[in-house]
Amino acid sequence: MSAQPGYPQPYEDADNAPFLAAWRKGVLALQRCKGCSKAIYYPRPMCPHCWSADLEWFEASGKGTVVGYGVVWRPNHESFQPEVPVVLVEVQLAEGPLMLSRVVGDDREKTRSGAAVGLVAMPDAARYPLPTFRLA
Amino acid sequence: MASREIGIVGLGQTKYSKKPDGTLIGYLAEAGRRALESAGMQKKDIDGLAISSFQLPPDNAVTLCDQFGLSVSWAWYFTAGGAGSLSSVLAAIQAIEAGQANAVLCIAGDLYDVNAHYKLMGNFNHALSNYAVPHGFGGPNGLFAIVTRKHMERYGTTREQLGRVCVGQRASAMLNENALLRTPMTMDDYLNARMIADPLRLYDCVLPCIGAEAVLVTALDRVPKEKRVRVLSGYERHNHPPGEIAPLEGGWALFRDRLYADAGYGPRDMQFVQSYDDYPIMVAIQLEDLGFCAKGEVGPFLARHEMAWNGSFPVNTGGGQLSCGQTGAGGGMIGLWEAVCQLRGEAGARQIPGVSRGLVAGYGMVGYGHGLGASAVILENVA
Ligand SMILES: [Zn+2]
Repeated sequence: MSAQPGYPQPYEDADNAPFLAAWRKGVLALQRCKGCSKAIYYPRPMCPHCWSADLEWFEASGKGTVVGYGVVWRPNHESFQPEVPVVLVEVQLAEGPLMLSRVVGDDREKTRSGAAVGLVAMPDAARYPLPTFRLA
Repeated sequence: MASREIGIVGLGQTKYSKKPDGTLIGYLAEAGRRALESAGMQKKDIDGLAISSFQLPPDNAVTLCDQFGLSVSWAWYFTAGGAGSLSSVLAAIQAIEAGQANAVLCIAGDLYDVNAHYKLMGNFNHALSNYAVPHGFGGPNGLFAIVTRKHMERYGTTREQLGRVCVGQRASAMLNENALLRTPMTMDDYLNARMIADPLRLYDCVLPCIGAEAVLVTALDRVPKEKRVRVLSGYERHNHPPGEIAPLEGGWALFRDRLYADAGYGPRDMQFVQSYDDYPIMVAIQLEDLGFCAKGEVGPFLARHEMAWNGSFPVNTGGGQLSCGQTGAGGGMIGLWEAVCQLRGEAGARQIPGVSRGLVAGYGMVGYGHGLGASAVILENVA
């Protein structure tokens, strides 16, 4: 793969370390609450639904549906400028939670609401700091 | 304790500019001094201070007391972004009613030029920094592109309808010497402007800028009648609905019935709306949630109204943030400032004739996808 772009990176902390570690292997890890069984994104110290702190990590399918999207021509950070447009998407993951993410690929401008998306696979996934999608 | 009616008796605003001409504390001081002056009151009368500013840390309300040479019995510092200035006024009223203070100066502002905007949005809160910034999210423009498109797709709202907010506000801004964008804008200009984050183009997005505003809250009978602005009612609601990224609603709908019932008026009695206008879609959503039209019907509502100061439904009669600029946290007070200005009859060339009451709404603090804070007040003058 080509050199890593200079994207801004997430700050690793106790809440998100398993999530970031999984993505370094191209895997989407989500939390599931043992109290109410709901899947959770983004990583939390306790379940935002029932406040149980008894959470477990599991490997998600990596499949989802685009709920909404914006096509960003003026990114805030210069590292994205060579890659415009950045297709910013709200994805409903198959496991339930909503996620802000990015659709990449030459056909990214064909993104529409309702479109099926799947995770970018390794080794390409290593380029992106967070779980990132392609049109399925 | 609450025998005397409490409201807003003074207003202050600094010059708006693209580059700072002084320090943040200097701008906050100037807005505060002007509010005090406009009330005809004195420094010794102030015993409460409330500050809304993103850039003030490591300073806060109490260190500003040191800067300003004030000894106060009550101090409040910022929450809820662009919803926060109205929160500060509601908190000040409650503090005065409870006997914690007699006169509270509420100030809001930032030195929010374009670089400051990029810097702030790059590290705005944990969720955004960790889970949106690394995607090249494009700042609020990218997020509100999602909200805007979703409203268009779900309800058939069009860019032409939303653009009427921007075009109407620009007509008002042309009569506001402090507005940074005062050149005429047609619907064609709006529709064909440079693409920023499809479907948002240049005039959907606010211009970050430098400035500050202030209001003085105290017992109304301390000033002459023409300076008195009553706060008839006010509420706030934050993080509603929880867990959504790009909802087409905010907290306003949860309190609007109480807001109008407490005031003794309904939406039709409002002679203007000063609505938080970071994007026209949020003006539209506030109009729906605050009961000016049903959910999903704001497109046709905007199509049949003119939103300029002299139109059939005046919105952001000083030009709003979309034409004046967004002074960071001061963007949450520009609508309040304009409302008080109108209700005191001090709006000059854009004065709404015979105006006596109106609504001001706040919105802000973008979290993981959208603004989390919502607030609103209904104001009336003492005719
Ligand atoms: Zn739970």
